[in-house]
Amino acid sequence: MPETPPEPENGLPELNPVIHGKLRLALLSLLSTVEEAEFTWLRAKTNSTDGNLGAQLLKLEEAGYVAVEKKFVLRKPQTLYRMTEAGRQALTEYVQALKQLLGSAINV
Amino acid sequence: MTNEELELKDRLSLIETMIAEGRKTTERWGWTFVLWGVAYYVAIAWATWGHSNLAWPVTMVATGLLTAVIASRMGNKEPETTMGRAIWAIWIAVGVSLFVFCLSASAAGRIDQQTFIAAVAAMLGTANAASSIILKWGAQFFCALAWWTAAAISCFATVTQSSIVFLAAIFLCQIVFGTYMMISEAREKRAGRNSGAAHA
Repeated sequence: MPETPPEPENGLPELNPVIHGKLRLALLSLLSTVEEAEFTWLRAKTNSTDGNLGAQLLKLEEAGYVAVEKKFVLRKPQTLYRMTEAGRQALTEYVQALKQLLGSAINV
Repeated sequence: MTNEELELKDRLSLIETMIAEGRKTTERWGWTFVLWGVAYYVAIAWATWGHSNLAWPVTMVATGLLTAVIASRMGNKEPETTMGRAIWAIWIAVGVSLFVFCLSASAAGRIDQQTFIAAVAAMLGTANAASSIILKWGAQFFCALAWWTAAAISCFATVTQSSIVFLAAIFLCQIVFGTYMMISEAREKRAGRNSGAAHA
């Protein structure tokens, strides 16, 4: 089941902690622009290490924001990541919450 | 501005940067324009001096296979984007239309040269125009205009005139444009930017 974002408090929205992590946010933003992406492409775009990237992608997968497909192409293993509908919804809500928070900070 | 506000701005900026990065691609397709331009010249020369009905279909199939082999050897690892698939769909659809038309027209032998050139040029104009509108790329729209002009002229011109116009359009829209695209792609890659040439 996709993870639900925290309920708003004091009229201001809270940021989804699963997405708020820098690398996870970068990964979801990247995946929002493509149909699916290889692990190696995501690694190159984010300049991250295999271990860290794998761990953050696993968190996104556990939250239901990313779907993984493993296959063999010309006998070589290939891991493809695709953003789920829940992931897209969560990213949209995160951006809206971010803008709302920034707007309230400017209004203060 | 507090640290928290700075962090929020940093997150927003990260999203924008990553979306731009995701849309950026290093795909290179300029060589296909040059390759197909040369293929058209080969087919024309073969059909003119070889007097063979097989000239167009054989050259088109051979070039299609060559394109597929070269593209697979280039090992394109870029993920698919909606824009990329749209461009690909246009060229595949027009490619199949051209193949079916060239094969049928050559086999039937009932279409005069001017009509043949007009149909081929109009189809290439359509593909270039659709592609340029998606990519918002003026240089490619100029190619579409050139193809459409060649198609229109061919309807009124003599066999010799329409042949000259067709050869000129191939040179301009395939060889010159393809070379320009290859130079742009190389330049964009070095600079780490992307414009029309490297956008699909």
